[in-house]
Amino acid sequence: MATPTDTQEQSSDGPLQRWTQSAIQNPDKVYRALFYAAMVFFLVTTLFPFYWLIVLAVTPEGNLLSGSFLPTVNLFGVSGTFPLPVPKGFNPGAFVTVFEQVPFHLYMLNSFALAVTTTVIVLFVASLAGYVFGRLRFPGRALLMLGILAISYFPPAAFVIPLFQAFAGNAPITIPFTSIPLFTPPRMLNTPGSMVLPFSALFMPLSIFILTTFYGQIPDGLEDAARVEGTTRLGALFRVIMPLSAPGVATAAVLTFIAVYNEYFFSSIMATSPEAAKWSPIVGGILSYQTQYTTQFNLMAAASIVGVLPVVILVIVAQERIVSGLTSGALKE
Amino acid sequence: MRWMENLSDTQYAYLLLVPVFVLLGIVALYPLLRTFELSLFALSADFSSTNFVGAGNYVGLFTGEKNRFLPGGTTFLPEGFGTGALLNSALVVTIIFAVVSVLFETLIGLGQALILDQDFYGRRWIRAAIIIPWAVPIVIQGMIFFLMFNSNVGFLTPPLADLGLLAPTNTLNDTASATFIIIVADIWKTSAFMALLILAGLQSIDRGLYDVAKVAGATKWQQFKLITFPLILPTIGVAVLFRSVQAMRVYGIIDTVSSCTVVPSLSCMVVATFTTREGTSAAIAFVTAAIIGTVVMGLIVWQGEDAI
Repeated sequence: MATPTDTQEQSSDGPLQRWTQSAIQNPDKVYRALFYAAMVFFLVTTLFPFYWLIVLAVTPEGNLLSGSFLPTVNLFGVSGTFPLPVPKGFNPGAFVTVFEQVPFHLYMLNSFALAVTTTVIVLFVASLAGYVFGRLRFPGRALLMLGILAISYFPPAAFVIPLFQAFAGNAPITIPFTSIPLFTPPRMLNTPGSMVLPFSALFMPLSIFILTTFYGQIPDGLEDAARVEGTTRLGALFRVIMPLSAPGVATAAVLTFIAVYNEYFFSSIMATSPEAAKWSPIVGGILSYQTQYTTQFNLMAAASIVGVLPVVILVIVAQERIVSGLTSGALKE
Repeated sequence: MRWMENLSDTQYAYLLLVPVFVLLGIVALYPLLRTFELSLFALSADFSSTNFVGAGNYVGLFTGEKNRFLPGGTTFLPEGFGTGALLNSALVVTIIFAVVSVLFETLIGLGQALILDQDFYGRRWIRAAIIIPWAVPIVIQGMIFFLMFNSNVGFLTPPLADLGLLAPTNTLNDTASATFIIIVADIWKTSAFMALLILAGLQSIDRGLYDVAKVAGATKWQQFKLITFPLILPTIGVAVLFRSVQAMRVYGIIDTVSSCTVVPSLSCMVVATFTTREGTSAAIAFVTAAIIGTVVMGLIVWQGEDAI
């Protein structure tokens, strides 16, 4: 990375030297230059992988394996390798083929359905808990919050074995450490339930902590006023406190949606075969390109671009919410 | 609904928490206890029944007796101190992944946070660009790095192989190279998360302190060393531990970029063995949970009440 400060020694005169002179007199200018250099560096490193996906996706299939993506350029008689990969040809057809070879839109629809269902469940349950922890004083409050926090730290691997057995529905669930059978669960593998249940438990703690913070900030007077008007206790929560904390609710919703959309562990295990009809989410869709069409790298790239678009749009639209939620929620956790 | 109005605060609180208890009870508490129970049993020699073996599975893991059940010649503890032996150990590879990726994520996240803390035109867009990797689904993150480094189209492999960082051929099936790539992939995705946490710490610093420093003639570096850094150190501490806990769970990125037999993380080993060797798998899962639990206890003791 060549910053103006790196090159100042090589130049002997001209505008660079004038810049150097003024920079020595005014060190703030150097900091400013360093600042922009660092900013460009971070931008390039974060966005470059997406550029690479686009390059691959528009390269025609026949050209993928021949030659290099780094073209040799001849500039005024000096030839060298261009440092940035460029497409070898142009054929946006991969963005259509990607839906034909594998029903990728159905996988995405599955992901949306799972994410929306989980978000609704999490918002409802976490609202009740957020109200309790944010607004009520009762014995055991700190201990319960600590318990929920502790559970959220356990790795998914510590839950997966019994959950998989239970969702397979072959044997009755017994009380741990005894052989007393409770009930035989229905077979839930390859259904939304086997994914929504673990997702809800996994991502609920963050929403609880976000909503606890937001609900705790609503003045008591507003709730009292609603109660005097004749609202029930639950009514006050859902008609007064929740609407007044709309930014907090939106934050919890966005973070839960993104978390479910991005989840890998349970998505790949609970949907036992990567088929859209069996509720496999985008994890299954993308992986079926990797396993079935092993050399069609342009399709893998196109599928990745299509799959990533919803979250990119969500980040751009809701970035204020994401930033405030992650910082308030995660630092609390 | 009348009866609900007459409950005391405590009764009402516990009533509202019933859904949380039910959900966490089914999906977290029951599986956790059951995993522990399973880890105390082992399959009999003729595969017909399971026998109670107490801590046998754990002892087997740590003595290396269970290594034969792990895929791809993986060992649980390292069998030597060479690079190959260390990277072939599920425990060591997971810890290396967590330590190295969190270290770089902290440094890069700090850099990004210092940038985002400034006021400049277009800050909103730069911030969105820096957050986007955090929101990318793990499977797509894996696909991106698979496409950048695989031996057919991955244009990054030849230059990095020339530097001696990666194996020139069959890169994604070489343990050291694949571990390197997976760490880079994790750093790319998660630095932004660190940046946001550290940014929150930066923005809580009283700006007046910098005015005082300027009047006193402190350079930018002195301002950073004497004001910024000490004040954000607690935030960085919490963020580092929080991220380490998440990094110990690594699974999806390995499964997509390479495979669990090449980079054997602890979660990978649980998934690879749980249909055939329940007891061993449950024991590994519980050891993972115990390691994470130790880290978290450290955090809670160190932070005290503030951790909640």
